[in-house]
Amino acid sequence: MGGEPLYLEPRLESRLRSLLDSPALLHTLTDGLGSPLNVVVPDQLADNLQRFRAVYDKHHLSGQVFFAHKANRSSALLRRLAATDAGVDVASLGELQHALGAGFTPDRITATGPKNPEFLWLAARTSVTVSLDTRGELDQLATLVRKHALPRTRVLLRLSGFEASGVRVLSRRSRFGTAVGELDPLLEAVERHADVVEPVGVAYHLDTTSLAEKATALEGCLRVLEECRSRGLRPRAVDIGGGFGVDYLADGGQWERYTTELTEAVLGTRPPLTYGGHGYGLRNEAGTLRGTLGVYPAHRPVAGPRYLDELLAHPAASLDGRPLATLLLEHLHDLHTEPGRALLDQCGLTLARVLEVRDQEPGGPLAVRLAAKADDVALEEHGVFMDPVVVPRDPAGARADAGTDPVAVHLFGSRCLESDLITRRTVFLPRRPAPGDLLAFANTAGYCMDFHATRAQHQPAARKVAAWQEGDTWRWCLDDQYWPTTPVGGAQ
Amino acid sequence: MRYDSITEAIGNTPLVRIDPAVHGLRNIDLYAKLELLNPFGSVKDRAAWNMARPHLATAAEEGGQVVELSSGNTAKALAVLAGMHGLTFKSVTNRMRIPEIKDLLLLLGAQIEELPGQSECLDPTATDDPLTLFHRALSEPDSSYLHTDQYFNPRNTEAHFTGTGPEIVKDLDGRAPDWFIACVGTAGSSTGVARALREHDPAVRVAGLVAAKSDFIPGIRTIDEAHEVGLFDPGTYDSIDAVTSDEAIEGMLALNRRCGILAGPTGGAAFFGAVRQLRAVDAELTERQSAVFIVCDRVESYLSYVRQRRPDLFGRPRRRNSPADLTPAEISAAPAIGVADAQAWIATGAPLVVDLRSPHAYAALHIDGSVNIVDELFAELLHGGLPFSRNRPVLLACPVGEKSARHAALLTRMGHPDVRSLTGGIIAWRDAGAPLVRD
Repeated sequence: MGGEPLYLEPRLESRLRSLLDSPALLHTLTDGLGSPLNVVVPDQLADNLQRFRAVYDKHHLSGQVFFAHKANRSSALLRRLAATDAGVDVASLGELQHALGAGFTPDRITATGPKNPEFLWLAARTSVTVSLDTRGELDQLATLVRKHALPRTRVLLRLSGFEASGVRVLSRRSRFGTAVGELDPLLEAVERHADVVEPVGVAYHLDTTSLAEKATALEGCLRVLEECRSRGLRPRAVDIGGGFGVDYLADGGQWERYTTELTEAVLGTRPPLTYGGHGYGLRNEAGTLRGTLGVYPAHRPVAGPRYLDELLAHPAASLDGRPLATLLLEHLHDLHTEPGRALLDQCGLTLARVLEVRDQEPGGPLAVRLAAKADDVALEEHGVFMDPVVVPRDPAGARADAGTDPVAVHLFGSRCLESDLITRRTVFLPRRPAPGDLLAFANTAGYCMDFHATRAQHQPAARKVAAWQEGDTWRWCLDDQYWPTTPVGGAQ
Repeated sequence: MRYDSITEAIGNTPLVRIDPAVHGLRNIDLYAKLELLNPFGSVKDRAAWNMARPHLATAAEEGGQVVELSSGNTAKALAVLAGMHGLTFKSVTNRMRIPEIKDLLLLLGAQIEELPGQSECLDPTATDDPLTLFHRALSEPDSSYLHTDQYFNPRNTEAHFTGTGPEIVKDLDGRAPDWFIACVGTAGSSTGVARALREHDPAVRVAGLVAAKSDFIPGIRTIDEAHEVGLFDPGTYDSIDAVTSDEAIEGMLALNRRCGILAGPTGGAAFFGAVRQLRAVDAELTERQSAVFIVCDRVESYLSYVRQRRPDLFGRPRRRNSPADLTPAEISAAPAIGVADAQAWIATGAPLVVDLRSPHAYAALHIDGSVNIVDELFAELLHGGLPFSRNRPVLLACPVGEKSARHAALLTRMGHPDVRSLTGGIIAWRDAGAPLVRD
């Protein structure tokens, strides 16, 4: 097998751990509802919200946490969140309808992203806040509101292209938002449309893990709000988007060993760690490593609420080095956030049944074929390196074909396609799986359940169930059967 | 010694023996090569000068710009050299992690560009990482960049092969040391010196030091990062071991406090790694041996780095009248006043209203008639004593009434009879609909 097994074990909090310790339930579910199957855990979402709220409280900040709906289509998760005091960020007509139907009142909904006329109309009709990307979109909204005699619409101005002083912080270009350099014409348009739109704040969302870039953007927003005030406008919110991240792995040491060994595999100084020698962006040029490891930083201790906390404590270079939270507070601004992945941390898992376990070359990795397509478990699509957990069909394990030693495997999907691999990594499992066992991919609720799933080749997309605990017992229902009344009402 | 140009002062640095009482080795003489005494402050002066020198005249004619991927000493040396030759310098870097170096570079006239962080929503099909784009920009036709390319440029290694290495041999009376211990950064100095020493005596053993993987030591790469360096060849080193930042600082303190060598953490890492490596050998030895390590640069630029990791080294005496001395009971007992009563009190004209927020926030909106003393400055004033007369009532205001309560408690303890904190702060004031103005 080539040395010690290189595990990347998932970080599991109590609810997911308890679910994985319930093999009979998981097998009953997949026997009845098929493989693959998604399980969501709505109560975890409410706990995660409290962790974000605690960061707000620590910095004395007011404002709303908006769940980025696009990260998961689940009705159960959305309805559970509607029962809290959180908001939701919707990015399509369907998501807006879903949010309204789940019980979110319009004051708790922000509409963002590319918008068609129907989406804009329903948003304005129901008085949700609209985050505007461009001046053109502002004009379009204003025309729509006048033509259909809709109520004055609250808007956020989404900005981009912030510049830092002293050091030039390069940032990826965003296709969303108005460049800060174009602020004047934008504010003039806002003033012209004052009868139909009310600016309530400014927004940005940067696709980056870097604190410094986000701090630069936040400082830029403070300056823009000041500019608004000097014009007599009264917006008071800064919406800093999401991108707070998730810590997927239990053990930072495993992550460090794995990435070092992967580097060496690419350089050819150890046996390959991937199917076909794939380098995940790294390549070997005459003995020197080139390229960049293009994967998610799966071991990420400063993620989610902690990342927000560090961002808020970050000193604003251009404003006397005072922490960003202090500046927001002093200027009497509200802070809005839009976590998606981070709010769904530990909120679900994906189950796939093992169909076949086959030896390939002697001593090489086993071929394990699953009843799931690669797009059903989109961890690889997001560059997340994390091992599945084996849930044996027969927990006693008293079978001849089930081994007791660690094995290396390649995980193949069920499509008739060479490249249908659940992951191109060679995955190490603590023992040889057997047909009928389940592989549980933990922590898939954020973007890795239904964002990429297709029905290609007439294969089913995963069904989804919601699960919750009553005392020591797990209960469940189909995702769209779940309402906040279900757990106490006993709808089973 | 008289020179016509400061660049002539690069190199010929002293080799200083470390007192055996400090390192505790009985059979090995340990020498420090003091590269911190180069004119711009580090070992990188040699490589920067050697890489840039052949191209400076042409670049100056074409009005070009010197460019390097560096967040530290190479950037510093190149900024100076570029300036001396009428060129500008741009440093492109993943992250400037040492604030003092960043400020120094700006002071020297360098432009700094920080590359964007990793994408949060990964696009696995994206092939253009920021570094690739950087290299593409450099190689565009008509590009007037002078890219010194320290991680791949053989003239980096050469500077040490022809300079640092032979100087060591000369100072050891024509003998190569038995051991050479070097930190791996660009691998230029370790590779160049190792080659020169081995040419003199193939038996020289070379120990490479890298940073522990999750750790950060300025100027040293982790083993994964070392693989990205074109000049790095694992075959150069007889052994490669990791050093942690704690160990680097430990070594640095020994050099600073006991040897009179004001080395930074990189030199500290080399000293710590050298002693650790040699201690195992020392006990077995029957004849005398010698070892050399490089002291890369000076301590002064790393004060914030050390403060972050070892705040204990900066223990300062407690100052009087500090809000930190207050007990929770004192703070909760601080005299306070609600918004409606405060409005009435202000209307009498009696209290001085002090707004503790930053000037920027105060300028945007504040209570009419208030004065702005930002909290940090106010705390500073209180160390000196009461800043107001005792018969002048004072109303303190901050965003939510938390900082104002602490300062009201402190002023009360200092003997002010009529100071109050605005309950709920400026936010409560606004939420109650009380007027805020701009001047």
